[in-house]
Amino acid sequence: MDNLFIAASASSPEVDFRFEERTLSLKGESYPENAAQFWGDIISTLRAFLAHDEVAAPITVNVALAYFNSSSTKMLFSLFDALNEKAEAGTEVILNWYHDEEDDTIFEFGQELKEDFADLVFHDHAVTS
Amino acid sequence: MSGIEQEWADFHSYVERRDVIFYYVGYFSQSIIAAMADAVKLRVEQTGAIAQTRRKLFSSFIEMAQNIVHYSADSYQKEGQGEASMRHGAVFISHTDDRYYLHCANPVNAEIAERLRVKLAHLRSLTMDEIKSAYKETLRSETPADSKGAGLGLLTMARDASAPLDFEFSAPGPDGSSMFTLRATI
Repeated sequence: MDNLFIAASASSPEVDFRFEERTLSLKGESYPENAAQFWGDIISTLRAFLAHDEVAAPITVNVALAYFNSSSTKMLFSLFDALNEKAEAGTEVILNWYHDEEDDTIFEFGQELKEDFADLVFHDHAVTS
Repeated sequence: MSGIEQEWADFHSYVERRDVIFYYVGYFSQSIIAAMADAVKLRVEQTGAIAQTRRKLFSSFIEMAQNIVHYSADSYQKEGQGEASMRHGAVFISHTDDRYYLHCANPVNAEIAERLRVKLAHLRSLTMDEIKSAYKETLRSETPADSKGAGLGLLTMARDASAPLDFEFSAPGPDGSSMFTLRATI
């Protein structure tokens, strides 16, 4: 499956999904005009990969989002839902959750994910600014 | 003082007296919001706000600005184009005694006014713990059909604010629309 790369813009993050390497990375800020569309397309591509993937090796997801608006928050929740389903089905999925050490909002959102998506191997990484 | 110098001094003294640190009125589009977001970040940093306050202000600013793009009744339409992507509104930020106040204003039609009034009145009745659990619940629920922001926008602002959100609607004009003003204290 082709990799998915979307360069960062002023209001959307860099998306770097290297399916072959089983490494999916998100980095930057997310407040696109239409979050449902922006994230919807990414989630469809991810779901297509997950559905056809039969390699048992772990998938690593690196998320370093410094800000996401309310509509992106909702879409991110569906993205992790898709990954959690894959983990439930038996593939190890590691989520590296990066946030500024002083950013309670993003730290707490990570804790929500950890709570709801218990099959993900969740690692919290507080980064010193 | 010359005429233009006087005009400038009058304006500047009013801005200073009201502790205004950022003001914009005009059309809002995604690219205008992104440019303003940079300006707001710099300006707030310059006023010496701590990191957590800066993040909350930035978050509330984006939610307010995107609400204007989605819901303002005053849209800019180029000929031959369908749905408008630019809508009229205003936003200002003031800074008094260690508190930041984020204000926004835009015209809304009667139907949206009623929906906002119900949602905001409900939010004002909640404690911070209740706001947080409503936020968690909404995050996990289906997106309402009438919402472009997943119904989380106002909850996000309420969660980031240090006092209940204040709002008012002007008396409706002949076309039924009224001016909606919202203030978040951070």
